[in-house]
Amino acid sequence: MATCTKRCVNNTKQGLKLALIIASTLTVSACAQFKHEPIVEGNLVINDPLEEYNRDIFAFNQAVDKVVINPVIKGYRAVAPKPARTGIRNVLRNLRSPVNFINEVLQGDFDGAGKVFVRTAINSTLGIGGLFDLAGHEGIEYESEDFGQTLAVWGVGHGAYVVVPFIGPSSTRDYLGYFTDSMMDPLRWYLFNIDEQPLYYSKLGADYLDIRDSLYDVLQELDASSIDYYASVRSTYYQQRQAQVLDQTSQFSAPSIPDYDDDL
Amino acid sequence: MPRNKLIVMTVSALLISTSGAALAMDKPLVPLQDTHAHPVLINATANQEEDAKGFISALADEGLGLLSQNEMTDEKRQKEFRKLLQRNFDMKTIARFALGRYWKSASAAEQKEYLKLFEDMIVKVYSRRFEDYDGQDLVVKDARPSGERDTIVQSEIVPKNGPAIQVDWRVRNKNGKLSVIDIIVEGVSMSLTQRSDFASVIQRGGGQVEVLLAHLRTEDQQ
Repeated sequence: MATCTKRCVNNTKQGLKLALIIASTLTVSACAQFKHEPIVEGNLVINDPLEEYNRDIFAFNQAVDKVVINPVIKGYRAVAPKPARTGIRNVLRNLRSPVNFINEVLQGDFDGAGKVFVRTAINSTLGIGGLFDLAGHEGIEYESEDFGQTLAVWGVGHGAYVVVPFIGPSSTRDYLGYFTDSMMDPLRWYLFNIDEQPLYYSKLGADYLDIRDSLYDVLQELDASSIDYYASVRSTYYQQRQAQVLDQTSQFSAPSIPDYDDDL
Repeated sequence: MPRNKLIVMTVSALLISTSGAALAMDKPLVPLQDTHAHPVLINATANQEEDAKGFISALADEGLGLLSQNEMTDEKRQKEFRKLLQRNFDMKTIARFALGRYWKSASAAEQKEYLKLFEDMIVKVYSRRFEDYDGQDLVVKDARPSGERDTIVQSEIVPKNGPAIQVDWRVRNKNGKLSVIDIIVEGVSMSLTQRSDFASVIQRGGGQVEVLLAHLRTEDQQ
């Protein structure tokens, strides 16, 4: 009884802490927006009023990547060959289905919600607990939906660009979305109810490893091809989020490139 | 007050979630293209799309052929790659787009040097990427018009294992000659990313194109 009370208090404390962090980021960004010009790149509008602070966190993350994350990923790749890693990714994606489903519904994308439902049904049964992405082979491909995208569909802008320690690029909107997703995740509710919090946190850890593994090569290439890596990552983040929000449909518009004939 | 506005927006978005979702359903974020085109024009576009698809297929075959030659030295591969680039990509347009508004503030000599250094950089970066080639295949899927002279060719890079990667090619028709002016990987435009990179370098260096040139020069010598 005593331990439970203690844990409950701890949980509440953590929740409060997170809420405070989010509230303060929102406040800081909103105030700082006054004196900052947004960067307009093609059809993107990037607000980075906290740039100097963000660059510090970015450098910190790079150091962590170099010393901890990258060696871990190399180890992971050495232990688990590609097919095994793909299987793990499939299982983790399958476990995310409830969150994807809820967000599809909130976005009014009932087609997408139906797809998530069919995918989960096929992959959980015939695909043995999500290990094999049979639905994906049949053309019902995975789409990651989160509350940040849902807010975007509702017309909420990014707010300010934020580099989060250990996590990387985000924005006030997307970070709020990330927080909301984990709060509404039925899997979290279930595991917390049956007192299996460690299982939930292990799943979070596995998610993190999987995402970092999937980004590893892309980030190495981006780093090699850019002079200002920070600016390249920022631009990539905004572009990718926009593509995700529009689900890469026909509405998705790549940046148009002008004709330069006249003055060449 | 932006802060209040943000909070009000978030709260109201949460409140009207159900009605908002219903609204979002039949309201495209980007206006759809005019479908009332003249029959002749439709034919012309269809041809243009087929041409662009064929162009990318041929380019992919040529590129993959270059990649599968294992015995080639790095120097030779870079040379071959540069030729392929010059033949199939509109390097001037790509370079100018990447420099954005700073092109106009550069002197003629700076512009000339920039064009050369830019090409060198692209050759270096992409031929380095070729080293990771692991038997992936490129499949051309579809094409759609974009603007008056461009066609977006959609393709997929299919690795031996794991999910396919979506790669779109912006192909421009300049008086009948087709050339690539942008590659969009999973929704990320290479040209736009390069432009953001360069703009930041120049801005943080005090607004002079020379700062970027200095960086490109050192890269060039490595």
